[in-house]
Amino acid sequence: MARGLTREQLGVTEAMIATYGEAIFRMSHNLQIRQGDPVRKLDWNQIARQREAMGLADVQIAQRLGLSKAQVMFIRNTEESRRFRVGQQAYLMDLGGGKRFRQERVVPFEERFAYSEDALALRSTLRFDGNRVAEFIAQGWWRDDTLTKWVARHATERPDAPAIVHAGASISWATLGARVEGFAAGLFRLGVRPGDVVAVQLPNVPEFVVAYLAVCRLGAVMTTIHMPYRGSEIESLLTHSRAKAIVCLAEAKEWSPGATALKLRETISTLKTVIALGPVVHGATSFAEVQAAAPNEIRDLPGPAAGDPFLLLYTSGTTASPKAVPHSYHTLLSNARLGVPEHRITGTDRVLSAAPFSHLFGLYALHVCWASGASAVLLPAFTPPDLAQTVERDRPTALWTAPAHIAACRAMGLFDQHDFSSLQLAIMSGSACPPELVRWLAARLPDCAVTQLWGMTETQAALYTRPGDPLEVSALSAGRASPGTEVRVVSPGDTVCASGVEGELQVRGALAFAAFFDNAAANETAFAEGGWYRTGDLATVDAAGNVSITGRGKDVINRGGHKFNPRDVEDLLDSHPKILQSAIVPMPDPVLGEKACCFVALRPGVTDVALEELVAFLAERNIAKMKFPERLVVVSEMPLTPTRKVIKGRLKIPA
Amino acid sequence: MLTKQSDRVDPAAAKQAIFEYCKKRGALAVGVADLATLEKIAPPGHRPSDLMPRVKSVISLGVGGQTQGTWQMPAKAMAYSGSTEVRAYKVAYGCSFFIEQKFGIPSIYVPPDIDPEGGPRVPFQSLKLHAEIAGLGARSLAGDILLHPEFGFMYYASVFTELELEPDQPMAENPCPAPSCVSMYRAIGRTPCAKFCPAQCLEGEIDDKGAQKLMRYDMAKCAEFTQEYEAVPKILAEAVKDEVRTHGAEGLLDPDRKMLWYKVSAGSGAWFAQCFECMRVCPIATKAPASDPILRTEASREAVRSKET
Repeated sequence: MARGLTREQLGVTEAMIATYGEAIFRMSHNLQIRQGDPVRKLDWNQIARQREAMGLADVQIAQRLGLSKAQVMFIRNTEESRRFRVGQQAYLMDLGGGKRFRQERVVPFEERFAYSEDALALRSTLRFDGNRVAEFIAQGWWRDDTLTKWVARHATERPDAPAIVHAGASISWATLGARVEGFAAGLFRLGVRPGDVVAVQLPNVPEFVVAYLAVCRLGAVMTTIHMPYRGSEIESLLTHSRAKAIVCLAEAKEWSPGATALKLRETISTLKTVIALGPVVHGATSFAEVQAAAPNEIRDLPGPAAGDPFLLLYTSGTTASPKAVPHSYHTLLSNARLGVPEHRITGTDRVLSAAPFSHLFGLYALHVCWASGASAVLLPAFTPPDLAQTVERDRPTALWTAPAHIAACRAMGLFDQHDFSSLQLAIMSGSACPPELVRWLAARLPDCAVTQLWGMTETQAALYTRPGDPLEVSALSAGRASPGTEVRVVSPGDTVCASGVEGELQVRGALAFAAFFDNAAANETAFAEGGWYRTGDLATVDAAGNVSITGRGKDVINRGGHKFNPRDVEDLLDSHPKILQSAIVPMPDPVLGEKACCFVALRPGVTDVALEELVAFLAERNIAKMKFPERLVVVSEMPLTPTRKVIKGRLKIPA
Repeated sequence: MLTKQSDRVDPAAAKQAIFEYCKKRGALAVGVADLATLEKIAPPGHRPSDLMPRVKSVISLGVGGQTQGTWQMPAKAMAYSGSTEVRAYKVAYGCSFFIEQKFGIPSIYVPPDIDPEGGPRVPFQSLKLHAEIAGLGARSLAGDILLHPEFGFMYYASVFTELELEPDQPMAENPCPAPSCVSMYRAIGRTPCAKFCPAQCLEGEIDDKGAQKLMRYDMAKCAEFTQEYEAVPKILAEAVKDEVRTHGAEGLLDPDRKMLWYKVSAGSGAWFAQCFECMRVCPIATKAPASDPILRTEASREAVRSKET
């Protein structure tokens, strides 16, 4: 309406607006041009001449166009409303106020960054219980920690201190920070944006660390691919994670990861970039080239927030199909930060992980280093001699290791041949730890605290024994809950078990993931009432709260109604002089339902072993007859997870 | 009862009394604009006589624009400093009463609002024109914002009265562009206000003598950035058409738009924000001798100190 009259009463049509709109808009106050200073000087000729350029009132425009004033006002108003974009005031905060206007800073809203649909889907997975989160924050468990902030802090406060020790040389925090900024800028130039997933399949080399931190710097998400994985496994993970880029070796011993990734790029629509470390691979971008990017390209890019997802890890595959676990900085970094004093790690420590960084146990070593400022000693890939030599050469004070690593070194006599005396802490995790091995290592390294840790991809470090705990606690249990973590052992129906009674271990707390990514079926059964995560592991808890992992729920064998956990039998068999590693799985039986089938890998030099030998060995050690294996399968090599845990699902009983 | 001006009112003494009144209440500068000039320049419907048929004099007054501290504020806060102009309105409001009570002559405080018959962004009167003709400021390259060589950037208000007063003259010299702006223009072809305007709505040319040659102000661009009131009906229209940037009603209630509703419902004048970036970088607005409120009041503080000692 204008002056109380409607458009119809004024006779203003769309045709009129189209006809006169531009002229009215220009003649009005919307564009003002003044030559000289005619008004102040009362230069009447100039005032008259410039009147239209300086902007006419509606009534004056009406006279010029031969329209009514009301019509002009209506058309002008309509033109202005149609032309003016809304919400432009927000630009002032970007462009003005001390920052001063720069043309290059002007990025239209519609061209500004928005998370991709895939990124939003992943972010949507991080849905935690609001009441529990309020508690995590109130307790100080969840803070504003990000890896970017941690590393930047060390680079500022201790620029010359060693962040990484690799092959006898060290990389300072300042150098690491600069390399990370460069690689992050390179990734950005290649199109990686906040929320995008970047896959990394690298051994424990400095480039892994650089790639990891660079992905985090961009607010992107890293997914790791274990080094033994090949074409179909990689394809499955890249497809499911919607990875936009992959960082891998150009060449490996027996295959070409770079060429494999390039081939997969042809069929996986979300995969855009292959970055290869090592020799040039045609079609891939070289790691060095990415890292050489000018860091100022991302100078204004804000770092990630603590609530952002930064890791998408696949469970280690001991269940039938891998599940994707997204983690935010909140969950994992709170767990690492709170773990530092528990493990008695300080900024002067040197932490060596024998576990691969593709696994969360290996990453936990890095997280603890970055939380504390300790140096990370790198072992690119585990072999017993390499581990022993690295310990002797680089003098780590703390070792993240799996029982199998220690057992292998022991079997090769490496503790007698190399100097392990720098170690003050050894954390064993990744698979069931034979008590005898803990006792042996503690005796072999009297100045080293030998502890156990239990965790999962879904939780990182949920349980551990602490330096200073009695040896038998570390030998017989995985310890107590980490700070910010609650654990319980329940019977079927989720009733809490009495002390010493075996049941399923359940976990919840500041460290726990929220849900699996893109796996509704898994999420349906993953959690019990109250947000307890069903780990699937069997455990008992003693009066002091120390939890002993007794096996996997799905490993339980039901022999004619008698259910038993074969874990203790496996532990005994592992100490048999002929056996390197054993695993007992259920085999179908028409009468009893299930019986125990034992798979064994033999020690070097041993060619055979008989079932009767093993049964006699167990009988001598008072194992109940019902637990005896009733079939023996000798294998050359056990299928292992990256943390040396037997993948029982891959043990196929011969017909 | 109000009367017409009688012989007993001395125009010169009345003008002095009015100026003293205004300055006592916070006006930095006061002047009388020549009515005939205004009537000639202002467009029909916006002339003083359109508002007050028997007007004889137009009194313009200016109050200090910003404190020194204000110029250090970030843009988001600067944009809301506009409501300080109400202090000028209060002085003018009081002045109109003062004239009626002191001299018995009808007067009005000129409403600074938009003219309901003029449509958006069209005021009843141009307070800027009144001030310019009264010699309280001269048009700058910053979109014709008036600047004063002594007080810098001011807010203006006007009083119309049937009291006949001797008019003042427009300023003899225009302080804009300042010498430093001329130097910058000679070096890069732009003055600070044009260079740093976030909307890039200003262009200007300076002649060989250092005077303004051309001022180009894209008010539409400026308004789009700084005058959010256009947004209110527009986003409602978008919502009706379901073309909001997110989804339906959620778009109406996103944080940016919720602020608009807040401003509308709170009746805040701040939703006609200005950005002030051109003034932030203007040496006259910020550095004119008496534009600095701290320096401006040094004498009075010194007097207090002397008394105390």
